[in-house]
Amino acid sequence: MMRAVVVDNELNAREGLETLLAERGDIAVVGSCANAIQALRTIRAVRPEILFVDIHMPKVDGFQLVAMIEPELMPCVVFVTAHEEHALKAFDENAVDYLLKPVQAGRLERTIGKIRHYLGEGGKPVYLSPAIERIPCVCAQGTKLVNAEDVEAVCSGETGVHLLTAQGEFLTELTLTLLEAKVPRMVRCHKQYLVNLSHVDVIGRVDPAAVQLRTRSGFQVPVTRRYLAGLKERLGI
Amino acid sequence: MFKLLFPLIQVVSFFLLVAYVYCKSPAYRLRRSELPGPGQKLALFVFFTLISVGGTYLGVKVQGAIANARAIGPVLAGLIGGPVLGTGVGLLSGLHRYSFGGFTALACSISTTLEGLVGGLVGLYLQRSTLQDRALSPLTAGLTMLAAEILQMLIILAVARPFADAWALVRVIGIPMILANSCGAALFMSILRDRRDIYDLAGDASTARTLRIAERTLDLLGKGFSREVAPRLATIIQEETDVGAVAITDRERVLAFTGLGSEHHRPGTPIMSEATRKAIATGEVVFLDGVKEPYHCTLDEGCPLGSALVVPLLVGHDVIGTIKLYEKASKRFLSINRTLGEGLANLLASQLARAHYQDQKELLVLAELKLAHAQINPHFLFNSLATIQSIMRRDEGRARALLDNLADFFRMNLKRNPELSTLQEELAHVNAYLEIEKARYQDQLSVVIDVDPRLLAFRLPTFTLQPLVENAIKHGVAEMLEPGTVGIHAYLAGSAVHIDVEDDGGSFKASPRGDGLGMSIVDRRVRNLLQDCPGLTVHCEPDRLTRVSLVIPCAAAPAGAA
Repeated sequence: MMRAVVVDNELNAREGLETLLAERGDIAVVGSCANAIQALRTIRAVRPEILFVDIHMPKVDGFQLVAMIEPELMPCVVFVTAHEEHALKAFDENAVDYLLKPVQAGRLERTIGKIRHYLGEGGKPVYLSPAIERIPCVCAQGTKLVNAEDVEAVCSGETGVHLLTAQGEFLTELTLTLLEAKVPRMVRCHKQYLVNLSHVDVIGRVDPAAVQLRTRSGFQVPVTRRYLAGLKERLGI
Repeated sequence: MFKLLFPLIQVVSFFLLVAYVYCKSPAYRLRRSELPGPGQKLALFVFFTLISVGGTYLGVKVQGAIANARAIGPVLAGLIGGPVLGTGVGLLSGLHRYSFGGFTALACSISTTLEGLVGGLVGLYLQRSTLQDRALSPLTAGLTMLAAEILQMLIILAVARPFADAWALVRVIGIPMILANSCGAALFMSILRDRRDIYDLAGDASTARTLRIAERTLDLLGKGFSREVAPRLATIIQEETDVGAVAITDRERVLAFTGLGSEHHRPGTPIMSEATRKAIATGEVVFLDGVKEPYHCTLDEGCPLGSALVVPLLVGHDVIGTIKLYEKASKRFLSINRTLGEGLANLLASQLARAHYQDQKELLVLAELKLAHAQINPHFLFNSLATIQSIMRRDEGRARALLDNLADFFRMNLKRNPELSTLQEELAHVNAYLEIEKARYQDQLSVVIDVDPRLLAFRLPTFTLQPLVENAIKHGVAEMLEPGTVGIHAYLAGSAVHIDVEDDGGSFKASPRGDGLGMSIVDRRVRNLLQDCPGLTVHCEPDRLTRVSLVIPCAAAPAGAA
């Protein structure tokens, strides 16, 4: 029995697909999400083998969602869309498959067959997903999306991963490793810190052993020796 | 008998000279297309009475009577101006003859009056028949005169006493008078007619020229007023008017110049002439006649041009450019070209206005087509079908109701008046659309409609509301993670009707990718169809609110608005 999560901002579409999956009997729908943010949490919690995801969704679309999933959690992704042109792009992203809405049982059968075959051969899904553009953060009103290019540095602490921006600090559920991999010009400078090269203002030595960066908005970011050479190279100094 | 014929011919020749001078004078204005008016009739009355009285004075005394050319006046007056004029001239002239006395005095005054009447009746008959042209033909005049003179002789024989004297007189004067006066009348009429034909021909020629220009420029101007069209237009005008040079300008630049001085009057250069700037500023014709007000070329001392006519091209109330006709300094600017130039500018302006109107109409049709296309957006149809399909599994009745809504929506798209609809009709259309969208987005979408009931009969361009609501959903609520609300508000404030469509997504982008088409069409349509309507305004507070507002001043509301 394979486990699947369905993500679509339209309840009807979601229910339609879930009904089709339930009728098959070989797939358990373990999560049903209306947007990418919910989906990220659900995927972390239930670790499904298959992800059915709508491409057009509010704020964070299907492609961005895939970019935000940690590689070790990556399920087989099936894009679902009403727009053929999106479907073609989905294929470029080398998704396992794509489905056109409204989903037809026969077409779904073929897709499931493909996935079964892929996983049976011991395949580990890896996708050429795009850079992350906006990072979902937790805030009092719900979810705030911070533009990735506005993030000056990222700090991982006991309370979680914080984005440091000119507008303040924001807590995100994405990991440091993922942000390092998926946000352009975001570079590791410390076990617990990333810095955005575009926002580095001053680089200096506090004492013979420690180097520190200051970002445009004045955040102090420590640099460990291990990352110093790489950082200098990226900065061109 | 011949002793009398020659003096009579002399008199008649003198009359012909008078006729020639008369028709050169401004008093003479006979046109083929116009019947003489009261003023003209008075002038004819005076002229022919003088001719007739003159005919009596210049007569030759014969046997106690006068051999004369008096009858030419009344007969011609009658032929040209009808029985009243002819009889009037004849009566006055007859009374004048009566005052001279003599044994034929009574007979002559009666006959002169009757001759005028005869001329008038013939003229009237011919004017009313299909033989209008004959009324003024020399042959008619000659024959009528012949008949009238024979009548006169008979009257003399009948009225004058003693009869023996009368008979002797008629034997002497009869044939010379009949011959001389008939020929005289025919020649007199021939002079008048030739002169009229010259006037008519001159008019014909300038009319024909204007028509020819109109014909040659019509296709050209259908393409609008541009740098490509202007040189061809200028060439046509110069060929047809044969003036020294022709220029066409828009408001800032010379678009085309052909003719004398074209080596220094270059197209594309800014307007230098004061006269042209004045014509553009005032919208009035500026004429530099070359005598009192010479035209001085500001570009080149040696410019051969000496006079200019600058006619503004008016489309609506806007001057969009000028047409300039130039004549060289050594040549007079013909007044016919001046009239022609002004007429031409009118003609071109109306052709341009027509082209402009055509543009507007095409734009509108295009907008409508695109709009209709947007309505039957296949994505909307697919999404709706997908929604209904999934609802069908759970709730067949609801699915059936939604199919009805979908059918309603498309039917309304087809059947609506393409121009204006009441707000109520617009709301019905939006509601059919919203039913489907609500089913699609479920609790993600709520709608608040708040419309002043007094405005339900208010008319606005058809398909105004639905695209705005569609935008609010597509680019607003559908882009929200949380449930969203679309608000439709219509209210009166001040002397304007306000229609707001808002969503709480606050994700409006100035140029949304492709899909903003719907809104720009709505904007163009409200501006086109409602005068003084400033179009749509968008107010966006990021992540909080997008409000698209349409403010229609009540004065701008189309007829029939509540």
